[in-house]
Amino acid sequence: MKTGVWLHGDSLSKRDPALRNYPEARSVFVFDRPFLEKAGLSFKRIFFLYECAVEAAEEMRVGETVEEVVDWMKEQGVEKLAVTESPSPRWREMVERLRQKVEVKVVPAEGMVTVPEGYPVKRFTPFWKDLGREWS
Amino acid sequence: MILPKFTGSREEQARCLAKAMVGMYYEEMEEARESGYVGGRTAGLEALERFRVQGYAGTRNNLKGNVSRLSFYIRHGVLGIREVAESVQKRLGKSYDAIKFWQELGWRQFWRHLYGLWGDGIYEDREAPKVPLGNGAEEELPAEIVEGRTGLVCMDETVRELVETGYIHNHARMWFASFVVHFRKLGWKAGERFFYRHLLDGDPASNALSWQWVASTFSHRAYLFNRENIQENGGKEWCERCTAKCPFDATYPELERRLFSK
Repeated sequence: MKTGVWLHGDSLSKRDPALRNYPEARSVFVFDRPFLEKAGLSFKRIFFLYECAVEAAEEMRVGETVEEVVDWMKEQGVEKLAVTESPSPRWREMVERLRQKVEVKVVPAEGMVTVPEGYPVKRFTPFWKDLGREWS
Repeated sequence: MILPKFTGSREEQARCLAKAMVGMYYEEMEEARESGYVGGRTAGLEALERFRVQGYAGTRNNLKGNVSRLSFYIRHGVLGIREVAESVQKRLGKSYDAIKFWQELGWRQFWRHLYGLWGDGIYEDREAPKVPLGNGAEEELPAEIVEGRTGLVCMDETVRELVETGYIHNHARMWFASFVVHFRKLGWKAGERFFYRHLLDGDPASNALSWQWVASTFSHRAYLFNRENIQENGGKEWCERCTAKCPFDATYPELERRLFSK
């Protein structure tokens, strides 16, 4: 099954974990029009992302992300999508919508430390004392 | 719709992109400019190679100190957070400076963890404030602040650098946030939006929760600074040029009395 990689703003380079899992895969980045029209980010931010995407992704698109990714998959003959995990609620919602249309494989993001499932909310100092031993 | 990869100089590519994406950014098209900080992994790796951690712990709070300026690459996954930590370890070994730097990287992981748990809850007060705050009703910061016209050189220069480059030092972020929230009694959410708009490393969790840390809605106490702190870590030139009556020229107990007495 041919796999494609969706790169997003939390993981926008050739070092993206999903891309490293599927080194032969084609890749796409989408500037999400509905989000950007609302967010009012400075152009400097947009251009910075563009420069990252130019190097990282084979194709860049502008539009509603889920629709654009699905269209891109059809055009490329890609049947399965791989994407690196993000904590963003908007990303989660997009993955849920994509899953209604295509098969999606979520690849864990790179962390400096591993935060165990169910780890509670604490202040930074105890968090780092518990989990940052490798770096202390 | 496919977005082409434009050719030409950065300036020329920026002009093409501004035209292609009109309506999707804050400025008018004619005012849209690229930052001096270059995006992409090639530039990120060069910046990582250039960074020497020696002196980081002792100078990182100073605006001219040895900070990495890698935050925008890390925020967008252009450089992996572990990749950066391991690069410092491999090239420069374990030292007090390296441990301090890794701890700062750890903050990013901490914010990310909380974002995963709270989602858009990062935009609500996480705790009751420990000091009196404004009502937080403002959608935006006042024009005199975002246009750098307060007359306070330290704050106006901070805004100018942020808007022109998309980056300011962490200590300048803390001073500005404290000025907005505690000295001006404006809501942290309006400040958060202003930073998110401009910072190349603007990350929802890191930004919103750091504003809450300053405001004391996600920390044990409010963050305050004074003129002495600015002079020590920002340099004296701001104060030398400033003709305003300095609201920061006081001891911390005095400031607490002035700002936090009900």
